[in-house]
Amino acid sequence: MQLVNITINGKAFEHEVEPRLLLVHYIREKAQLTGTHVGCDTGNCGACTVVYNGKLIKSCLMLAVQADGSEILTIEGMSQQDPEKQKNGLHPIQDAFLEKFGFQCGYCTPGMVLNTHTLLKSNPNPSEHEIREALEGNLCMCTGYQQIIESIQYAAEKMKAGK
Amino acid sequence: MTTLLDYDKLFVTRDYVGKPLRRNEDEKFVKGEAVYVDDIDMDCAHVAILRSIFPHARLKKIDTSKAEKLKGVLAVITGPEVVAQTKSVPPRAIAKPLKQYVMAGDKIRYLGEPIAAVVAEDRYIAEDALELIEVEYEPLQGVTRIEEALKPGAPLLFEENGSNDLLHDTMTHGDIDKAFKDADLVLKEKFSVHRYSSTPLENWAMIARHDKGNGSFTMWANDQQPGRSVANISAVMGVPMNKLRLIVPESGGGFGIKLAIWPYMVILCLLAKKVDKPIKWVQTRREHLLGGTHAPDCTVDMEMALKKDGTVLGISVIDKENDGSFIHTAGIYSLIKFATLVGCYQIRASRMELVSVAANKGPTVQNRGVGKPTAIFTLERMMDIAAKKLGLDPVEIRRKNFVQPEQMPYTTPSGEVYESGNYPATLDKALKMADYEGLRKMQAEARKQGRHIGIGMSTGVEPGTSNLGYYYTSSGIPEYMGSGEGAMVAVDYDGNISAMIGSVDTGQGHATTIAQVISDMLGTTPAHISVDNTLDSFVSPSIGHSGSYSNKFNDVDLGAVIRATEKVRDKMLLIAAHILKAPLSEMRFVPGGTAIAVKGDDKRQMSFKDIAGYAYKRITMLPDDMEPGLKEIAFYRNKAAKMPNKDNFNVQLTHSNSAHIVVAEVDAESGFVKILKYVIVHDCGNQINPGIVDGMAIGSTVHGLGATFLEEFVYDDNGQLLATTFMDYLKPVAAGLPHIELGHMHSPCPTTMLGTKSAGEGGAIGSLAAVAGAVEDALTPFGVKITSLPLTPEKIMNAILRTKVI
Ligand code: FES
Ligand code: FES
Repeated sequence: MQLVNITINGKAFEHEVEPRLLLVHYIREKAQLTGTHVGCDTGNCGACTVVYNGKLIKSCLMLAVQADGSEILTIEGMSQQDPEKQKNGLHPIQDAFLEKFGFQCGYCTPGMVLNTHTLLKSNPNPSEHEIREALEGNLCMCTGYQQIIESIQYAAEKMKAGK
Repeated sequence: MTTLLDYDKLFVTRDYVGKPLRRNEDEKFVKGEAVYVDDIDMDCAHVAILRSIFPHARLKKIDTSKAEKLKGVLAVITGPEVVAQTKSVPPRAIAKPLKQYVMAGDKIRYLGEPIAAVVAEDRYIAEDALELIEVEYEPLQGVTRIEEALKPGAPLLFEENGSNDLLHDTMTHGDIDKAFKDADLVLKEKFSVHRYSSTPLENWAMIARHDKGNGSFTMWANDQQPGRSVANISAVMGVPMNKLRLIVPESGGGFGIKLAIWPYMVILCLLAKKVDKPIKWVQTRREHLLGGTHAPDCTVDMEMALKKDGTVLGISVIDKENDGSFIHTAGIYSLIKFATLVGCYQIRASRMELVSVAANKGPTVQNRGVGKPTAIFTLERMMDIAAKKLGLDPVEIRRKNFVQPEQMPYTTPSGEVYESGNYPATLDKALKMADYEGLRKMQAEARKQGRHIGIGMSTGVEPGTSNLGYYYTSSGIPEYMGSGEGAMVAVDYDGNISAMIGSVDTGQGHATTIAQVISDMLGTTPAHISVDNTLDSFVSPSIGHSGSYSNKFNDVDLGAVIRATEKVRDKMLLIAAHILKAPLSEMRFVPGGTAIAVKGDDKRQMSFKDIAGYAYKRITMLPDDMEPGLKEIAFYRNKAAKMPNKDNFNVQLTHSNSAHIVVAEVDAESGFVKILKYVIVHDCGNQINPGIVDGMAIGSTVHGLGATFLEEFVYDDNGQLLATTFMDYLKPVAAGLPHIELGHMHSPCPTTMLGTKSAGEGGAIGSLAAVAGAVEDALTPFGVKITSLPLTPEKIMNAILRTKVI
């Protein structure tokens, strides 16, 4: 057993964990944040996407002990991002996914939203091509991506307008 | 508008139905707050499953003593124990008395078949324990290919059957002999389509708890067909249905692949009996790809009889489906193909010989489109090949053969009834959207520059609402017939409305769609309506057909919602008339008012809350003969379902149609294909929520693109599966996909209440043929013909350089 300290969505967590515990399982079971999903556990689907020290990662590919001392953002933390832009309890990106039908079963959505959040920070004006490239690591089995892309374009507009 | 219902009579307002209403009820999905099975907050022990490392073997000995001793292990169960405690899996279509159990006790038939399971304090320990189970196998020669499996002397999956032929039948409709006698041209082709699956992003997941006090079980599972699952579990375990409670929370996608997860629920229930706490099993992706069910690979020998002018007189098909190793669903892919056998065309004679083949491959279950993608692929390929032979444009040969709008409703030789649709206009619209003539010019230009650009198309029917009697190959009257669903609608004490149906949602936004319909029916707003998507088999208004499959939602599920809402509506009108002392005929719903008023006198009105107050609380003031309460259940069935009869039967009850036009460029140096343009015009009748329908049309098309280019369960000859992760079973990603242009037609369906037709499988059916047509057209300079899928760069290069056939 090993002690880990991880800050998730601004809240400090401390647990004794087995060295083999995956970060995604830490987030889901120890921190009890179940918006982060598992779709493959081989790093291919992106359902487990979180933002780790500002970078997108797949949390099934990292051990909890490796994340000791890190800061993580999960989908549940989107409610605290860009506080001035939140409306009715929704971040503009989340609102965009609702507005443009950017999800069906919703299983990929947390990963998609966090991916969008990271993308728009570095590129507030992405072209369709850039969006498609950015989504490379996130599979959606339902939508065929098109309405996700429209959601991201809509979110980009709204984020700019909100400035 | 030709629908079962008069919209003006049915709806008080027209504010919601037909509009792309936001899925506001589903905010939880964008916030990470949706609760899928694995998210249920329950103190569970965890299950891991030991799977056979041989595709074909006998289980000689299995020793679990070491595993049982591992710290943290709570219980172990083995195949032989499961077999001793359960009955054989019930087959749906095949009539042969074969035995197969939810876990292998003796004979192992596919790589990854469960042979034991462990429950432990956590999943990591459970997996450790699997390593400690000692298994002695007697490996057997395996067989994976259809031709090999059907040869005399082939290794047998079910020895008692004497062959690997599980179902074999020939059905002839119309004068097929005359069709071939009168033909100017008979074309013959052999097609094959590989094994693939729609792989929902959420794997199978389930929890089981045993209540020792009364011997009952509670299960939570992402089951797609709860109506049948509980019945199957009951039959296999010998536990009455009133002791089996199934709860289905949110589900992360289905596409058919979660229709038969119940065998694993049986395993969990048996294990749950051994421990004192709920137990959970979440399938890994590897397990999912191994045995989380596939669409069968198939071969189709097709003969087509044509006149010189391109008129198709008849088709004769030998359809062999490699149904792998699962008798529960074997045979149904061929049977459901009757829904699309003659496609959009006036082909008046058909013959189909169907064979369900057993082989050492994973179980097959209904995957999006169920056989219809391959039926349309083969038929549309044949149309293209015929056009080429006769020197016709692919558009021309299709136009020549289309069923015409004035022939609707049109009955095919086998008895399928196409209720509505305008096939020529659908194609015309697609051609216009794609600028077909411009494309042909562009293609000719490109060819001059040495670029290989092709144009492909498909026109097909996209049936929905299965008439389950199509399992008429089983002995006697089939256990399930027709299609139906149940719904409950209530106005609560506070005037708000709650609704549920007997089915589940796997991502189609049922809650929003149902709220749209109820809002317009009662003159209220979706903000007043809460639709609970959770299924609880002890509470939900389910029937044996209940589930999310065959696009039945827009038909029978909404039919049940409408019927239940009508009951509530009529009762509210009676109460209001009684209390306001006005004639019933004078009572009106106030549009958008969530209230009922006396006609012409808006001051005399009662809110839903007032009315509900009488129904639930001031019950002494109700009319004498009225029961209290405002909660109504209704069940509904589509009456177009025919009785099972091989000569005249409708396999499905609604028939959407579409035209796909694809422009593809092939790099003749590498074999890579780029889709330059993708146009779809589809007609699913009236749409309740076009935003949701668009998503279905595009998503299903991308499933088809994945199947056409990327996805394949590759087995070696002995039955080892070579694609067990998303690194070797490739799925489409956003990059590289075309932007799909979507056009709509709206031919209302006269046999569904709202004029709606199937919307969820469409693109998965039409895309395979359209893409293949485009690639073949691009490869015209090389004389390549496409008769198989997938279209991998390797196969394309091989065809260009050597074989000329893919
Ligand atoms: S679960 Fe981590 S990438 Fe799929
Ligand atoms: S919405 Fe279902 S996987 Fe993306």
